[in-house]
Amino acid sequence: MSIAARGLSPALARINRRAWMAVAIIALITVALALCGIGFGSTWIDPGRIVEILIGEGTRGERVVVLQLRAPRVAIAALAGGAMAVAGYLLQKVTRNELASPGVLGVIGGAGLGVVIFLALLSDESNSLVTSIVWQPVAAMIGASVAIAAVFLLSGQQASSAVRLLLFGIAVGAVAKAATLILMIVGPIYRTTQASRWLAGAVNEINWGEVQVVAIGLAIAMVGVVAVARRLPPTDLDEVSARGLGLNLPVFRILVFALASALTALAVAFAGGVGFIGLMAPHLARLIVGRPVLAGIAASFLLGAIMLIGADLIVRVLFAPTEVPAGTVTAVIGTPYFLYLVLRRGSTNG
Amino acid sequence: MPLASSNTSIRVPRRIGRHALFSGLAVLLLILMYLSLAIGYRLYSPAEIWRAVTAFDGSEAHVVIRDLRLPRALMAPLVGAALGIAGVLVQTLSRNRIASPDTLGLNAGAAFAVVMASGLFGVASLPGLSLAAAAGALATSLLVFGLAAAAGGISPLRIVLVGVTFAGLFDSFVNVVLTVNETMLDQLLFWLAGSFADRKLSLALNGLPFVLVGGGIAFYLARSLDILQTDDSTARGLGVPLGVVRGLSFVAVALLSGASVAMAGPVLFVGLVVPHAARALVGLEHRLQIVAAALVGAVYTTLADIVARFVIFPREAPVGAVTAIVGGCLLLLLLRRRAA
Amino acid sequence: MDKAISVKALTIAYGAATAISAVDLDIAKGKVTVLAGPNGCGKSTLLRAIRRLHQPKSGEIRLGDMPISGLKEKELARHIGLLAQSPSAPDDMSVEELVRLGRYPHQTMLQPWSAADADAIQAAMFGTGVSHLAERRLGSLSGGQLQRVWIAMVLAQETDIICLDEPVNHLDMAHQIDCLDLVGRLNREHGRTVVLVLHDLNLAARYADRLVFMKDGSMVADGAPVELMREALIEDVFGISCRVIEDPVHNRPLCIPIRNSSPRFGAAPAA
Repeated sequence: MSIAARGLSPALARINRRAWMAVAIIALITVALALCGIGFGSTWIDPGRIVEILIGEGTRGERVVVLQLRAPRVAIAALAGGAMAVAGYLLQKVTRNELASPGVLGVIGGAGLGVVIFLALLSDESNSLVTSIVWQPVAAMIGASVAIAAVFLLSGQQASSAVRLLLFGIAVGAVAKAATLILMIVGPIYRTTQASRWLAGAVNEINWGEVQVVAIGLAIAMVGVVAVARRLPPTDLDEVSARGLGLNLPVFRILVFALASALTALAVAFAGGVGFIGLMAPHLARLIVGRPVLAGIAASFLLGAIMLIGADLIVRVLFAPTEVPAGTVTAVIGTPYFLYLVLRRGSTNG
Repeated sequence: MPLASSNTSIRVPRRIGRHALFSGLAVLLLILMYLSLAIGYRLYSPAEIWRAVTAFDGSEAHVVIRDLRLPRALMAPLVGAALGIAGVLVQTLSRNRIASPDTLGLNAGAAFAVVMASGLFGVASLPGLSLAAAAGALATSLLVFGLAAAAGGISPLRIVLVGVTFAGLFDSFVNVVLTVNETMLDQLLFWLAGSFADRKLSLALNGLPFVLVGGGIAFYLARSLDILQTDDSTARGLGVPLGVVRGLSFVAVALLSGASVAMAGPVLFVGLVVPHAARALVGLEHRLQIVAAALVGAVYTTLADIVARFVIFPREAPVGAVTAIVGGCLLLLLLRRRAA
Repeated sequence: MDKAISVKALTIAYGAATAISAVDLDIAKGKVTVLAGPNGCGKSTLLRAIRRLHQPKSGEIRLGDMPISGLKEKELARHIGLLAQSPSAPDDMSVEELVRLGRYPHQTMLQPWSAADADAIQAAMFGTGVSHLAERRLGSLSGGQLQRVWIAMVLAQETDIICLDEPVNHLDMAHQIDCLDLVGRLNREHGRTVVLVLHDLNLAARYADRLVFMKDGSMVADGAPVELMREALIEDVFGISCRVIEDPVHNRPLCIPIRNSSPRFGAAPAA
C-alpha cells in the first residue's frame, strides 16, 4: 500500500501503520474467540478440529453440530455486533456526540416496530408469511430510518446538545416500543412468538439463510461506509468550517444517518435489540487505533463482533441450557460505562 | 410610612373556583368509573350493574360485573391517583419537569423487586409483594439521586438519562429471571405489561393503605414542597429542613409507585403526564397540585383503561401501552418546547 | 452599639480546606453592613454561616444573646432572611406564588394561612413595586424585575435582619442602582438590619454604613467607608493600585483602579 502516494507526512503514515497493526491483532483475537464460540457447547470441540470440519471433514454428527447449530450463531453474532459498532462509530462521528449510539437514538425501537408491522401486514390467515423473509431486514431498515428521521426533525436545533438529542431518541423509542407491544397483541400467536424472540435480542435459532441475508446486506452497506469514510474527518469541525472545506454537512449527515440505520437494521433484523455495543465498541476502537478513520471503522467492526460473540458465550456458559438473551450481558457491562459518561462532569453540554 | 396601602389588589387564594374544579373532576371520575363497569366487550344497563352488586345471582353477567369489571373500576383510579401524586413529588424533588417514576427508573426497580421477591424468596402474599415493590422503588430512587449527588449535582436532563438507563438494566434483569424460571413467566408476563384487567379486588384493597399513607405524607409536606421548587440555599433560608423533607418524600414516592406497580404492573408515563395537567389547572401550590394530581390521575387512568378496551377491539390492549404512547408524545412535546 | 449579630472566633472548613478562619465581627442593628473582598475571600461563606447554612468548625454566632445553633429552623427563618446568590424557581411560577413562599416560617400545620400572611405579602410586593406584576410568570420578567420579586419574597418573611448574597451580580448598571436603592430604603424607612455581600467596591462604599474587608478567609479591616477606602489598604486587599477620590454627588469615597498590582496577574513570572 503506497502510503506516500496518498500524500501523508511520515508522522501520519506512522500513526496509520500502527493503527492497522492494532487492527490486525484485534482480527486475530476475533478469530480465536469465534473458534471458542463454535467449540463451546454441550460437547467441547477443539479449534483444530473445527477448522477440519469447516473445510469438509468430520463425522455427520459433528458436521450438524458445527455447521447447522453453532457456526451460524457465531456468524450472526459477529456480523450483527460488527454492524452495530460501525453504526455507532458513524453516529458518534457525525453528531460529534460521544453518547450517541443506535440504541439511545431510537433506531433499535424503530427497527423493531418496522419488523412487527412487516410481520403483521404480510402474514396470511394461516400465519405464514406471504413474502420472503429476505424483506424483514428491509422493513427493519425502514422503521429505523423513520425513527432516526423523527428524532432529528423533532429535535431541530437542539440536536447539537448531546444529552437533549438522546432524550429525544429515548422518547421516540418509547413510543415505538408501545406501538410494537400493541401490534404484538393484535397479531396471532405465530407472529407474537416470532416478534418477542426478536425483541429480546438473542442470537440462538439462527439459520444460514438469515446469515446470508445479513452478510450480503452488510457487504453492500460497507461499500457505502468506505465511500463516506474518506470524507468523515471534517465532520469533527463545526458546520461553517466544514463548509469552508467544501463539505455540505447537512446533506452529508442525512447520508450517514441512512447508512447507520441500514447497518443497525441489518444487525437487529435477526439478532434483535442488543444494547450498548454501538456505544462501547467505537469508544474502545478510538482508544486503541486513534483518529485514522478507516482503521477506526475496521477496529469498531471487529470489537463489536468480539463483544457480541463474547456476550453470547457468557450467557451460554452461565445459563446453559436455558437460552438467556445475550443483550443482558451487554446491558450489565454497558450500563455502568454509559452512566460514567453521563455523570462525568463537563463532558458534554446539556 | 406604612409599606402597604391596602387597596392594591392581591388575590387571596381563589377557593371557590378550585372547589368547583375539584368537584367537577370528582363527578367526571364517578361517571368514568360507572362507564368502566358498564361498557367493554359487553354492555350492561345501570339496573343490571346495581343488581350484580346488591343481589348477586351468579349469572354470567353478574360474574363479569362483580369479579372482572368492579376490581378494575376501583383499581384504575387508585393507581392513577398514586402515580399522579408520585409524579408531582418526583418532579419537585428533582426540579425537573420530565422526571417521573418511569423516567427515573423507579417503576422498573419496583418491578424487578417484585420479580426477585416472588422468584427467589418465594414471597407470595400481597402485602409482601407490595412491600417489596416499595423497597425496590426506594432503593432505585436512592441509587439514582445518590449517583447524581455524588457526581456533584447534575443537570435535570442528565438525571433522566441515568434513570432511563437503570430502567433498561432492571428490565433486562427481569427478562433474565423470567427466562430462567419459566413457570414464573406465565404468572408474571401479563402483570408486567401493565394492565388493570384480571386483577382481584383484594389486590386493590391491599394497595389502598399504601396509597393513603403515601398521599398523606405528600399532603403533609405540601408547604415545604412549595419551597423546594426554589434552590437549596433559598429553601434553607426559609427554614425548610431539607434532609427531613427529602427523606419523607422519597418514602412517599416509594409507597405510591411501589403500590401501583404491585397492583397493576408498570403503567407507563402516568406520573409524567398528570403533574403537567395538574399544574395547568391549579398552579404550583402543592396543597392544590397534589389534590388535582390525584383526581386528574384517577380520571386519566380510568379513561385510558376504557380506551384500551376499544383501540384494537375486540381484543384488549394493555393500558400501559396506551399511556406510554400518550406519555412518549408529551415527552417529545416538552423537550421541543424546552420545558425541561 | 446595639448588636444584631455577633460572630466570635468563627472558623469554617470545607473538608480539609479552611474557608474562613477566626473571624470576629459584630453587626450593628439597623445598619447596612457590606462584606467586600476579592473572589474566594470567604465573604459569601461568612454571610451564609450567619444564616447557619454552614456548620462552624469552631467559634460561635449569636443572634442578640442567643447562639443560633440552639434555634429551630423556622425560628431562625423568622429572624434572618436570606436572598441567595443566583436564586432559582420554576419559570412558570407566578410572582405572587413566589412571594407567598416567604411566609413559610410563619405558618404551621394548624394555622396554614392567616390575614397576617396576606398583609405581609401585599406589603412586600407594594414595597418593592411589583404589585402590578402579581399574575406574571417569572420566566416573562426582566432581570431587574425578577430581582425585585426575589427581594419581595425575602421581605414577606418579615425578618429584622436581611442577608443578601451578591444581589446585583447579573444586573445592568441601572438595575444595580435601582436594586441597592431599594435595599437602602428598606433599611432607612423600616429599620431592617441589612448584611450585603458585594464585590463592586464602589457600590459597597456608596451603600454601606459599615464596610468589612476580607482576604484569604480572614477579616482584614472593618469600619466606616471613609476609614477603609484608603489606597494602601485597597492595594493590599484587592491587589490593585488605585486612587481614591471623593464622589462629588454622594460625598462617598470612590476608588479609581489604575492597574493590577497582584504578582499573580502581573508581568510574566520569572521562571
